[in-house]
Amino acid sequence: MRPVLVFLALALAFSLVAAAQTPDLSGVWVVSGSPDIAGTPAYKPEALKILQQNRANLKEKDPATYCLPNGVVRVTNLPYKIVQTPKLVVILSEGNTHSFRRLFVDGRAHNLEVEPESWTGDSIAKWEGDALVVDTIGLNDRTWLDSSGKPHSEELHIVERYRRASATRLEVQYTLDDPKAFTKPFTFTRTFTLQPNREIQERFCTDQNHLAGKQ
Amino acid sequence: MQRSYRNLVLTAAAAATVLLLAGGQGSAQEATKQKQIVPPGAAPPKPLGPRGPSGPVPRTSDGKPDFSGLWNSQRNLPGQEEPAMLPWAAALTKERTANYSADDPEARCIPGGVPRAFPYHHQIVQTSKLMLVLFEGNIHTFRQIFLDRTEHPKNVGPLWYGDSIAKWEGDTLVVDSVGFNDQFWFDMAGHPHSTELHVIERYHRRDFGNLEIEVTVIDPKTYSKPWVMKREATLETEIEMTEYVCNENNSDALHLVGK
Repeated sequence: MRPVLVFLALALAFSLVAAAQTPDLSGVWVVSGSPDIAGTPAYKPEALKILQQNRANLKEKDPATYCLPNGVVRVTNLPYKIVQTPKLVVILSEGNTHSFRRLFVDGRAHNLEVEPESWTGDSIAKWEGDALVVDTIGLNDRTWLDSSGKPHSEELHIVERYRRASATRLEVQYTLDDPKAFTKPFTFTRTFTLQPNREIQERFCTDQNHLAGKQ
Repeated sequence: MQRSYRNLVLTAAAAATVLLLAGGQGSAQEATKQKQIVPPGAAPPKPLGPRGPSGPVPRTSDGKPDFSGLWNSQRNLPGQEEPAMLPWAAALTKERTANYSADDPEARCIPGGVPRAFPYHHQIVQTSKLMLVLFEGNIHTFRQIFLDRTEHPKNVGPLWYGDSIAKWEGDTLVVDSVGFNDQFWFDMAGHPHSTELHVIERYHRRDFGNLEIEVTVIDPKTYSKPWVMKREATLETEIEMTEYVCNENNSDALHLVGK
């Protein structure tokens, strides 16, 4: 066989294997254990002050009280559904604002031109081995890292590594870098458990519940 | 990102009303002016914009049309028949429209339901099992249309977006939805419905950039015969959908001035 054909055959074989090996993260998932983060980032004094203020007036300060989005890092103990396509992964949330995140796996770069800051930021993703690595910037400073009031600034940069550790277990490693609020990057890991017989239920948050009926 | 398209429609009405109240009271001149304000729900549909890009219909690996993409708002085609409303529905719609749509739940960040069309983008994400609709607004939420089941669950609802299942009829995806609550309006005019609402949507991607949607509303408690609406949406290839968060600094409700 001529070298060029060998090369083409190998390239084809390799790409077929690579395509076949793209892990499937699809499914309905619930966080294992507490949705809150066990540790606390190394806060700079000003951010620490905000944390203390939040803790002193937890309900009043909590964006979720006003049906505002939880953002990227904070999760609830209600199910999340991952819908995976080759170029786009969508995460649907049953709880909080019953909204979604879009993770672009199409090779694009970050683009903050239209929305420099938003609640869920700008998320681009790529596969590294069996992990989907999601890079997020362009966040506002209004969300909390969890329900205990942990703040962050608009400089927060999030890297999430999604890995399906087993058929029923999804592991997400978080690296949070926020030079304005933290003295050093903060890392932690969460796991989610597959809910084979569960579907996302319709659950809306509205701060005018008298208008939304009992849903 | 927080935006208020309703303000475009309502600010004129609200501002005019405020000006009238601020000026003298009860003169014949004011009465004439007030009559000139057109309630937003009574405005005729805007003409369709330019067509979407041409080209072949994208298809999935199993040969079905792929509706995936970012679509502009669904717009009603002009010149369509009026719905045949039962007397209670006609009276309620008239009252809501005449009241400048001030009670429209949509403006209070309440889910818009089905088949309400919004002047926002919606993104369709299609897999072999699911057609997912991601809404930019009225609220930044989603609707799941299941392609992998053929029956609605028993005792479903009452839900804002109902339970939606779909099947293929040639190249047309026929979406069947039931299990709705009766809390949302079909449009700014305030067309109502009951919990017996049954909606059939027929999605047909005419070419690369143009999507046709025929909506049939069946609700014998509200309409004396099925109400068919023909709509179109165009593909958006140049821009991205924004993160519209209705509950963020929502100022619409303050601007809603009724009679």
